[in-house]
Parts: sequence; structure tokens; C-alpha cells
Amino acid sequence: MDDAMTAMVREIRNRFATDEIEVKRADLSKVLVSRFKIFELIDFLREQYDYKTLNAITCADWIEEEHFAITYILTTTDRKHSFMIQSMILRENAHIDSLTPVFKQAEIMERDLHEMYGIDFPGNNNLVELSLENWVHTPPLRREFDTLEFVNKHLTFREGRDDNIDVKVEMKRLRALKKEAKALAAQKAKEEKAKEEKVKTEKEDQNGE
Amino acid sequence: MEEGFLKEGFLKEQQVMESDLNSDTSHKSSVDFLMDWFRKRSIFVLAYGTGCGAIEMPPTFTSRYDAERLGIRGAATPRQADVIIVSGYCSYKTLRRIIRTYEQMANPKYVLALGSCTVNGGMYWDSYNTIKKLEDYMPVDMYVNGCMPRPESILEGFIELQKEIAEGKASSWQKYEENYEFYRKNQEAVLGKTVAPAYDADWYLYDGGL
Repeated sequence: MDDAMTAMVREIRNRFATDEIEVKRADLSKVLVSRFKIFELIDFLREQYDYKTLNAITCADWIEEEHFAITYILTTTDRKHSFMIQSMILRENAHIDSLTPVFKQAEIMERDLHEMYGIDFPGNNNLVELSLENWVHTPPLRREFDTLEFVNKHLTFREGRDDNIDVKVEMKRLRALKKEAKALAAQKAKEEKAKEEKVKTEKEDQNGE
Repeated sequence: MEEGFLKEGFLKEQQVMESDLNSDTSHKSSVDFLMDWFRKRSIFVLAYGTGCGAIEMPPTFTSRYDAERLGIRGAATPRQADVIIVSGYCSYKTLRRIIRTYEQMANPKYVLALGSCTVNGGMYWDSYNTIKKLEDYMPVDMYVNGCMPRPESILEGFIELQKEIAEGKASSWQKYEENYEFYRKNQEAVLGKTVAPAYDADWYLYDGGL
């Protein structure tokens, strides 16, 4: 980390009271802040440190901890460094302010998150459907959405051929057969060896006599 | 040359193309024979790709495989096309467009479905927005399996389709009109009530038409 970066990290640490700054790579850092300070931080980075491009807004569903991790990725104008700014929001009634007043391109990214996770973005007035049409079920990327159950309920599968075999079951069966054969061969070899040894000892006994 | 001796290559294709020249057509009137022959030898394929399989269509239609020697060529709009190729997986969103496009095509029309995705969902068998069986939602004349089918397979599918057309067997558009309620029910099950305007093959004979 060079001096400018160290100074920036120190300033963020002091100003936004966060210790969660992590250097992922030479060109990528990550900071975790409270959801109430996130827009202040984005503004600060944009104005003071030239992070003028919003690359992506991503979301991860931490269903066990009952929150979404929402991440804004900003990049400098010389494309040499990116910053991931992460914040946690509650899963239930999930909402966070829109970033569209600062970055116009946030609109479509927020539309995507709204459709796939059901997160609301007050301030973005174009949260219409993006790639799904007439979707009335649970947003599909939330982890409580069970894809297989949904498919079994709503779609019909083509029946397999009469001679089709479940690959997993068949593999298990073949493996068991192989194991059995191996065990049998081992036992046979053992018996033969015992027999040989018996013959040998008998011979030795005869010789000894 | 012996039947079945040539497995692949241009000579095989030539053999396949010429295979029905000597077939018995005495049961047809000359007009029927001519109509079927014309239909078979001028298949206009809608320039519409719906999935990854669309990548195999340019080589099929350009100089390497040159589908035009079989009378197969592209058409710009659904109204001018005879065949729609459903080339690969159909998400719900694509399916709505496919149905709409298919209903705009003029009779007689044929459907060629490419790839395992149209047969049984393929690798998208557990995807929440991909249909698994195309023939539930629209009639299919010919499936070409593979993931993806090579241009040779597509051509073979076309040749089989031509054979069926020549014999008068390819009549999926009639099937669609006869069983329209069945198809519409299945379409509404996945797409909701707003599938497309109600389909009427003879719309131009009624109000607002000719």
C-alpha cells in the first residue's frame, strides 16, 4: 500500500468510525460501514478521491444472519483502483435509499436487485420488471425460494425412456459389485496363501522328521 | 452405390437429396405433386434465434454448408417465413415472443426445434424460468437433438422435414388450430393470462380484414 492509500484509509477510518477495511488486492479494497453512513462515504470517495464510476451493485443473501449484504463497487477514473463499499440491511422489509441522485446508472442495477431479491429502493421511481415477466412468486434469488420445488409444481417433465437408468443408483450398484468382487478375490488369495503355507509347513515338518 | 455405405460427406448429402426422386407418386395428382415439390424446395426460414443454438445457423446458411442448394434460405419477417427454428432453451419471456411470432406466420408453417433444451429442458432442467417440453406450448414438426447440433444435424433435420412435406405428413399448423385450447391452456399456465391476442388463422377474412 502506498502513502496516498494509507492516508485515505486512515481518513475513512477516522471519519466513518469503521475498522472493517480490508485490502483484497493491490487494486481492490473493501470497507464495511453502517447503512446510514454508506451514501456519505460514497459521496466522500467520489468527491475527494476520484472514484467516479459505479461498476456494480451486488447483493448476497445471508439467510442465517437474517440480512442482505449489499455492495457498491466504485472505480477511479484512471481505472487503477476499485473500492467495495458494503453494508448490511435487514432481510425483512428490505429497503435502502436509491443511489440514482448520485449515479444515474444505478437505476437499472437497482431494478435488477428489486426483481431478484425484492429489495425496495425509495427514491428510484422506475422499479418495474426487468427480465422476468408477470412474476408473482417469491423473488427467485432469495434463498428461501426453492427452485426444484417450484419446477416440480409448475412445469411438466418429459418421461424418460423405458430403458433409462438412474445414473447415481447405477454407479452405486456397480461400485458395490466391484467391491464385492475385490473382497472375494482377496479372500481367495488369502485362502490360497494359507493353503500354501500349510503345505510348506507340512513339508518342513516331514523334512525335520 | 450400396445403400448405407456412405455415412457422411457431400456424396452422402447428395444421395440423401436425391433419395426421393424415384419415389412412387402415382397416388397424387400432378398438381398436388407439384405443390408439395415447390413447398419442399423453397423453405424460407425466419431469421430468429432464441438461444445458444442460433450460433449454428449462420454456418448452415453460408458457404461452408450452403443450405440454399436444398432450397432453404432466410426470410426477414414472420409473414414471409415457412419455418421457425426454436434454437435452444426457451425462457418464459422468449416463449411469449416465439408464440406471437409463430401465430403471425402464414400457413403452411413448420417448426424445427434444436437442441436438448427443447426436448426435455437439457441442462436447464431445474431452472425456474425455462420450459421443459416445447410441444406442450406449440406444435413441433421435427426435433434435432444435440447440445448443440452441428450444421450437419440441422441439415439432416431439414431433409427429414422436406421428406415429410413431400409426403404431406408435416401438418403441425393444422394440429395447432385443432388443439388450440390445449396449447392455450398450457401457455396461460406459465405466461399468465396475457399471452397474446387470441389466435385466429383466418383473421383476414373477418372484421377489419380483407
